[in-house]
Amino acid sequence: MLDALKDVVRKSSIHVCLINTGGCNGCDIEVVALLSPRYDLEQYGIYVHNNPREADVLLITGAVCEQWKENLQRIYSKAPEPKVVVAIGNCPLTGDVFNQEGSSVYAPVSDFIPVDAEIPGCPPRPAEILAAILAVGPDAIAAKGREKP
Amino acid sequence: MPMSSVIWYLYEFARKSWAESFAIAKTNAEIVETPERFRDFPQVFPEYCIACGACIAACPAPHAIKLIRSEDNTEEEGRTYPVINNRGCIRCGFCAEVCPTDPKTLTCGENHLIREDFTILPTEKMFVIDDYLCIRCKKCVKACQVEGAIVEEDNKIVIDQSKCIACGDCLDSCPVKGAIKGIYIDHVQEQKDIIKIIVNSLEESIEAKRDDISHLLDDEVYRFDFDIGDLVDRARSILSDDDIILDIFQKITDRLKLRIVTWDDEKCNRCQLCVNECPSGAITYNEEEDVVIRDAEKCLRCSICYQTCPFGVAGYYVARFLLDPLSLDTGVIHVTVKPSQLPIGAD
Repeated sequence: MLDALKDVVRKSSIHVCLINTGGCNGCDIEVVALLSPRYDLEQYGIYVHNNPREADVLLITGAVCEQWKENLQRIYSKAPEPKVVVAIGNCPLTGDVFNQEGSSVYAPVSDFIPVDAEIPGCPPRPAEILAAILAVGPDAIAAKGREKP
Repeated sequence: MPMSSVIWYLYEFARKSWAESFAIAKTNAEIVETPERFRDFPQVFPEYCIACGACIAACPAPHAIKLIRSEDNTEEEGRTYPVINNRGCIRCGFCAEVCPTDPKTLTCGENHLIREDFTILPTEKMFVIDDYLCIRCKKCVKACQVEGAIVEEDNKIVIDQSKCIACGDCLDSCPVKGAIKGIYIDHVQEQKDIIKIIVNSLEESIEAKRDDISHLLDDEVYRFDFDIGDLVDRARSILSDDDIILDIFQKITDRLKLRIVTWDDEKCNRCQLCVNECPSGAITYNEEEDVVIRDAEKCLRCSICYQTCPFGVAGYYVARFLLDPLSLDTGVIHVTVKPSQLPIGAD
């Protein structure tokens, strides 16, 4: 009974934290477009924060540059369980155009923290991000919440 | 007063549309829908690929595109084709833009149109300088009437297409034949078709004289005249503009250096040395009939078979051309064929 109630709450109110680990900012702008009235992310009960301690979902963009290697793990550890990591764009997946020979990017993000969902694109359309967050977010969080720590 | 506002407040929340949108939140379909102009990840059609690698060279993302080759089977060689990694692709469409095959191996929605800079004047010719032939005498710069249309850049003389008015004065002033070219920018496909017809018929006419040229000594030259009447008729059926046709004939005969490979089956001893040496797989050995076959369609005219064959089956000649006088009606193409000066056999 309590678990069922928790599931409902977790599914209907998701707090996300946007982390740019050193990209071109294009994906972040697409996420901002999601917050605008046109796409209206909040109608789904999804709220964007800048504080990982309040977040259920970490949205990672960027190709992980030198300074972010440790900070990314610190931020991940600060997010409360249950947490889900969504990698937005190609940078966290392969490093994209930044991952040239001799460059100082340390993509993919999955080398540092576990990634639950990937959204390819450079940048992905807001609709693609929305669909991915909705497809993976609520159920994954509910499922993770049921796991015994 | 407060009571009525509370009731109003409750009434506001009791509206059906409120309740509906609270329970099933949804973004409008037309907002979520991908518009037609959106350039999505490229689509690959492996059957058209010629493995030229242009897509890889054009791709700005290091992990986006790879040429792979499927395994050979008994019937045919493995096919080479590109694969797109969606996790690296930035959907720029450059690969689809540079793909030279027709139809394209890679398609990618609406492409960037890389437009060359152009003049606003309606010109039918574009003038370009061939840097290879240019002697940098700068006579064209002096002759040019437009300030800044022909400039020296990086020790090269170039024509600024955005300023050029295509008057042709530079072409008249140029002392080197072919260093400045006036290119007709319309009817490109028709021009290509005519060029193909001219080159193919010239090659056929030379191959037909195989008996005459096979006895040539190293320093001998074989000459004959080629009547263009038939070619002109075929060209006119493709394109009605005589100026363009004459221009093509002139350019082709001036610049073309045709490499001719002849094939004398009678001399062949089936040693099959050439079969594996051929880089394009144009020479094959038919085991049942015990013959070595050369496929002229596949042949690159690279001369490797000529240099490999110990029995002189393959002949290799270089042909040059001149159209004289410069007219479609009375003109004759003078052909000179020279045996190749390449060394034969190893060392």
